[in-house]
Amino acid sequence: MRVLLADDDAERAGAVARVLAADPGLTVVRLTQGESLADAVASLAPDVVLVDMARPDRDALDGIRQLAALNARPVVLFVDEDDPAFMEEAIGAGVSSYNAIGMPPPDVKPILRAAVALFRRHQQAQDDLKQAENRLNERSVVDRAKALLIKQRRLSEPDAYKWLRRTAMSRGRRIVDVAGELIKEAEGNAG
Amino acid sequence: MSKPIRIGLLRLVDSAPIIVAAAHGLFRQQGIDVQISVEPSWSNIADKLTYGVLDAAVMLPPLALATCAGLRGPKARLVVPMSLSQGGNAIVASNQAAASLAAGGSQPRLGLLDWLRSRQTRPRFAVVHAFSTHNLLLRYWLASGGADPDRDIETVVIPPENVVEALAAETIAGFCAGAPWGDVAERLGAGRILIGTSAIWPFHPEKCLCVGEAWADANPDLLHHLLRAVLRAQISCDRPEEAPAIAALLADPDGLRLPEEASRAALPGGSGAELIRFHTREAWFPARAHALWFLGQLRRWGWLDERTDLNALAARVYRPDLLASAVEAEGLYPAAGLPALEGTAMLPMPDDEAFSPRNR
Repeated sequence: MRVLLADDDAERAGAVARVLAADPGLTVVRLTQGESLADAVASLAPDVVLVDMARPDRDALDGIRQLAALNARPVVLFVDEDDPAFMEEAIGAGVSSYNAIGMPPPDVKPILRAAVALFRRHQQAQDDLKQAENRLNERSVVDRAKALLIKQRRLSEPDAYKWLRRTAMSRGRRIVDVAGELIKEAEGNAG
Repeated sequence: MSKPIRIGLLRLVDSAPIIVAAAHGLFRQQGIDVQISVEPSWSNIADKLTYGVLDAAVMLPPLALATCAGLRGPKARLVVPMSLSQGGNAIVASNQAAASLAAGGSQPRLGLLDWLRSRQTRPRFAVVHAFSTHNLLLRYWLASGGADPDRDIETVVIPPENVVEALAAETIAGFCAGAPWGDVAERLGAGRILIGTSAIWPFHPEKCLCVGEAWADANPDLLHHLLRAVLRAQISCDRPEEAPAIAALLADPDGLRLPEEASRAALPGGSGAELIRFHTREAWFPARAHALWFLGQLRRWGWLDERTDLNALAARVYRPDLLASAVEAEGLYPAAGLPALEGTAMLPMPDDEAFSPRNR
């Protein structure tokens, strides 16, 4: 069974391809960057197409049977009618799956399930990365605010931090927000 | 306040009523909280509405109907409580194609057909989705000129924001897409607008608001206030004096990032070849006659079989009854008078005589 994988995220696509390739019954073909999804379906004749839902060209597969030019290979969206929760999970993870029609329906759920798991893990990793970036960013904001306090109020570093903490607690705010406001204020005065 | 209402839309000028309602605080005035989700594809909108990941969306009416008819998989339960806009699409040809057509001289109707059939390979035309107003109007126009869209052209689906690039690269001979892309193609010299879709069917319905039936049933109050806010936004969107501010809003780098001048050209009072209308002539009314026209076209091309009861499907999906209380509360129309609007919904009819590219 041939699986076409349309995902421009090289790292994620690599992970999905590796996992699927472990099944000797599957051949995984990756869509090359810039190649049209509809053309690839026509030329590679996959049995299953896995598509990153962030791709705008996914619409090319919708209704392809109706538009089917003579050379096009019709595919239909895979939907598990008995398992709407799984469908929702796949949408949440951002991956959709299509089956070639005119042949016995392959058992694609395990394939889609594997893709969903990897897309989710990737999503989680992206979220973690973003959080880490935010934390780094927050740290530099707090550091700059401390430097300001040390300079303006002649506080020691531990006292500067205590001042930020106390102010945040008394206003029911986060330390980073108080620090950010302090910097903005100082910039406003300077400007 | 309850969970925000999740509304999906695409980067298009006719998404304006939702963007304007949010920016002008109209949702807040109605006491509702809305979360806008800019989606990359119509398929995402259809899938997310079907599985309740979105509560509402700016939608293509034929796609809403096709999704409910089971043309994308199992039959979904979606409803259309209001229409959002009329017109705004353009059929655009590459410079080379447009030049050949112009050379057709005194009989452009024959010119198009001759040109289509003189090509060694069938000219490729792009639409934004198989089940789009664009595709159905393009096919209707070609057929009324004697062409067979299944035989004389090849139809491909290309995202609206990529059609101009494809035209410039001559991967396609033409396209039918919504604003601002026809004007963008002309501005960049990539092609020429042959005809605006309002010349094919004056005041044709374009986008609708689509909501999950289960969500509509469970949240009648939220729906009422959502519809009121959008009805108000449509009035703003139809005022030429508001158009510059709306075009600027649509160009917001944190929002839809649409090209400002081309958007302005498509909004009421604009200089574009084809303008969008949002409110006048009851543009908000979700006429079942419109749904039936779209369904009739889907059947005409063999995509809907004879077993589907078109009247029943139109009645189940198009729900002017859900709009009645909002229209009355806004003082736009007496609720009791709404059904009578069906009588005029198809006037004027799609016009075969407007076919000629001369009449742009």
